[in-house]
Amino acid sequence: MIIAERRPIPKVLKAIEPYERVLVLGCRGCVAVCSAGGDREVETMAAALRLARKLSGRPLKTGEATFIRQCDPEYLAPLKDMAREYEAVVSMACGVGVNLIADLFPEIRVYPGVDTTFYGANPALGEWQEKCRGCGDCILDVTGGLCPIARCAKNLLNGPCGGSQGGRCEIRPEVPCVWHQIYERLSARGELDRLMNFFPAKDWRPAGHGGPRERVREDLKMG
Amino acid sequence: MEPRSHLHRVLSEGHFAVTAEIGPPKSADGEVVRRKARILKGYVDAANITDCQTAIVRMSSIASAVLVMAEGVESVIQMTCRDRNRIGMQADLLGAAALGIRNLLCITGDHQKFGNHPEAKGVFDLDSIQLLAMVRGMRDEGKFLCGEELTGARPEFFLGAAANPFADPFEFRVKRLEKKIRAGAEFIQTQIVYNVERFRKFMEMARDLGLTEKAYILAGITPPKSFGMARYMKYFVPGLDVPDEILKRLKEAKDKREEGINIAVEIIQQVREIPGVAGVHIMAIEWEEAVPEIVKRAGLHPRPLEAEVRSPIAVEVEKPVERVEVLAPPSEKVPEEVPPKLEIPVEAVKEVFSTVRSSMEALREGINLLHDSLARLERALLGGEVVPEEVPEVPRLEVKVEEKPVAEEKPPVEEKPPIEEARPPAEEAKPEVKEEKPEPEAKKEEKVEARVEEKPEEKPEEVKPEEKPAPAPPAEGVELGGFSGEYRPLSERAAGLPEDLYKEPGTAFIREVEIGKGEKAFKVGGTNVLPFHLFEGEMRHEPRIAMEVLDVKPEGWPESLTRYFADVLDDPAAWAKKCVETYGAEAVCIYLMGTDPNYLNLDAKHAREVVEKVAEAVDVPLIVWGAGHAEKDVEVLREVAEVLGDRGAVIGPVEEANHRTIGATAMGYGLPVVASSPIDVNLAKQLNILLENVGVALDKILMDPSIGALGYGLEYTYSVMERIRLAALYAQDDKLQVPFICNVGREVWKTKEVGLPSDDLLGDQEVRGILMEAITSVALALAGGDLFIMRHPKAIELTRTIIRGLMQQN
Repeated sequence: MIIAERRPIPKVLKAIEPYERVLVLGCRGCVAVCSAGGDREVETMAAALRLARKLSGRPLKTGEATFIRQCDPEYLAPLKDMAREYEAVVSMACGVGVNLIADLFPEIRVYPGVDTTFYGANPALGEWQEKCRGCGDCILDVTGGLCPIARCAKNLLNGPCGGSQGGRCEIRPEVPCVWHQIYERLSARGELDRLMNFFPAKDWRPAGHGGPRERVREDLKMG
Repeated sequence: MEPRSHLHRVLSEGHFAVTAEIGPPKSADGEVVRRKARILKGYVDAANITDCQTAIVRMSSIASAVLVMAEGVESVIQMTCRDRNRIGMQADLLGAAALGIRNLLCITGDHQKFGNHPEAKGVFDLDSIQLLAMVRGMRDEGKFLCGEELTGARPEFFLGAAANPFADPFEFRVKRLEKKIRAGAEFIQTQIVYNVERFRKFMEMARDLGLTEKAYILAGITPPKSFGMARYMKYFVPGLDVPDEILKRLKEAKDKREEGINIAVEIIQQVREIPGVAGVHIMAIEWEEAVPEIVKRAGLHPRPLEAEVRSPIAVEVEKPVERVEVLAPPSEKVPEEVPPKLEIPVEAVKEVFSTVRSSMEALREGINLLHDSLARLERALLGGEVVPEEVPEVPRLEVKVEEKPVAEEKPPVEEKPPIEEARPPAEEAKPEVKEEKPEPEAKKEEKVEARVEEKPEEKPEEVKPEEKPAPAPPAEGVELGGFSGEYRPLSERAAGLPEDLYKEPGTAFIREVEIGKGEKAFKVGGTNVLPFHLFEGEMRHEPRIAMEVLDVKPEGWPESLTRYFADVLDDPAAWAKKCVETYGAEAVCIYLMGTDPNYLNLDAKHAREVVEKVAEAVDVPLIVWGAGHAEKDVEVLREVAEVLGDRGAVIGPVEEANHRTIGATAMGYGLPVVASSPIDVNLAKQLNILLENVGVALDKILMDPSIGALGYGLEYTYSVMERIRLAALYAQDDKLQVPFICNVGREVWKTKEVGLPSDDLLGDQEVRGILMEAITSVALALAGGDLFIMRHPKAIELTRTIIRGLMQQN
């Protein structure tokens, strides 16, 4: 899922400084699951903004709503009317939601309420870890299912660097060296020879270095 | 095949090759590179130029290589994958080849996190193996990475790669080496070898795979410059294996640098015996001067093909170079005089002294200010009379007079000139003090009157601080009244500004730890602001100083220190008594050095007796510091704790390895502990957590961050302490809300500089030692140090004076 984190309140306050009526809009997709932008977080954010503005002597009126998703136009449709009562919208969805609102409703001033951080898993309560970087050209088939693009600080494709010590990454010793893990995984399976294959320079275009990425499936298109 | 480079030729003809590393400067000063090249000339087959090593911005390796070649030394450039994508790399490599560079070492590069721009976007478009393959493709197939044809001259590099036999997973290391060789590596430089056994194993595996037939393997060699450096490499450089034995040798060596060179030479001799090792790569980090010595002693000088080096390179680069040379003609001579004789790099010494000098100036300024305030105070209170309370001063000066004849090597006549020469710079420094100037001078005159007899008196230009403490106590009595008149509170100076603009007190307090029991007990910690920020918060307790005594007669202490304790050095109890009664120590630290298994290995009974005697002799709080040997300390401190039980004392050091046992002992007797960690925020925190887990409360812990003396890593310690304190006060990191203890004396008095004789450059030996110790302590007090362990009585007085001055600003 997409992991996000609540944006520092002072930054949000700064963005909405000129306004007196603001809609805080949550999303029940990924950001709700990772406790960054669901119903509860919307409530917290709205309360925090009101409190801060009250203290500064310029009270703020907030509206609160949470959509099923903000990355589909049909779920966003009600926003058009809803937003009329407000001068601005703080979207608690990931950056995708903010962008789609901006795309669909040029008249709405939309500001981010979270910082979108990575694609991650939730291995334990209150803990999220990056597992994929969406590079568009999966190599997990040769690395035992563990991704060195997302999980190696140097994106190495040909085995552990000289800083791998005791199975730990030199950059942050609390993080395991993913290449060490790959080595152990393949070693246990008797597939170490895979690591001896030269992994040629990667084509980074599918990773987004070729401009914004698109996916089209003609057969699913309507009309 | 025609060799691609001189280095290639040396290797292919079967000579044992020698390369050395050159780290370019963090400036545009090409002379630095050229000087380093001149030092290496004739001693290496090629100089290897780093590419922003440890991710710190430096002059580019390609540009530096051109300067190196201009000095007639062949270069190997390093190229990392961190800073350029495949376009930039290929472009730079074409350029490098066009400039006549013939050797290329392909590495992935240290992650930017370790450098001075951790915010940078790391590129890592390729990894080192892909880089090798790419360059080989350009050279052998005439193709760019994209497959497009490279028409015209191809980059004819002799290709190298790095290998680390000491990283994990060990079995895979040699496989990865094979991968690199398959991708195009023709020579290999290994990580620094200290653990020769492991390296031998690695080479054996490489031979089994036939790799030594396919590539030339050069073993990485680094002479450790100091014990601190070796320790740093052991604990902080991932993938570097420094056996304890090396640490031990350095720790015990009198001349660390000499020992460092010995170690390097021995390792070269050992690796040379290993089949398949084709040469060595010497990385004398910021110590290029050591290379010629090492090469000579290892029997690798003269180099076999020395003469042939120049022609291929000089032809291409000579012209631009000649011009450069004209610009800087005098520089030619300097290095020629330098490398053969000196064992100490002049630059480094200069640097140390310029740092010392500027610190001295800063101190002097501070002292002048104090002088100033005192003079005004005196005038106000006593109508211009000098406070006559300088009794301890006279005997001390007498001691000096007695000493002089003892110092046989130098007749007293000789001893004076350096003193006098040491003065002018001091006086030159004065103009900087501008406004304060008249008053200190007046003060000086008064003093001279007060003590007519002695000339050496004048020397105290620096030593004068020592005289200050005498006036200081009276000042203390009237402290607040006296100083508040002079010190304008910040609130007053900032009148009109809202307070929250300039005040930012911490959100928490550092724990208060009680040192000792009874009347003489004191507390440290209890602050919620950065050190001495008294305007925005509270420092409930001032930093304190404990004097150190040893359980056995110290060896190798300079006479400038021992003379103060000459009569008591072999009796810890008398020594402690002297510290308290003569020098006013507020606490005593007993360093049980003799129990160290690597030293005298005295038993726990000995420790117990010493501690018992000292405990009887003095009533001030005690700190008992074990030998720093995790296992032995458990036994020794357990025994000692029994004696100390009721009296109370701090015991330590506790490390991760023995935190359970010593932690339990301390808890049993209710004693605070010293938690020692190796200069690292996270490790310090972790140890506190571990201790808490076994039941030691945070207010029974003093953190010892492992400090470095002035010129020996002081800045590093400072920044770690500062970060710990910031986390504690401003980031609610409650596990770090613990006072610091800094074992300063030991670090300072083992440095080379405190033992070198007085001379023009370094000034008076004793003054130098005092200042080094005091500057170290004061700097660490500014970083948050709460309790200091020191040795020299005068350094202690000076430190105390400054601390009191800082504490009075309220």
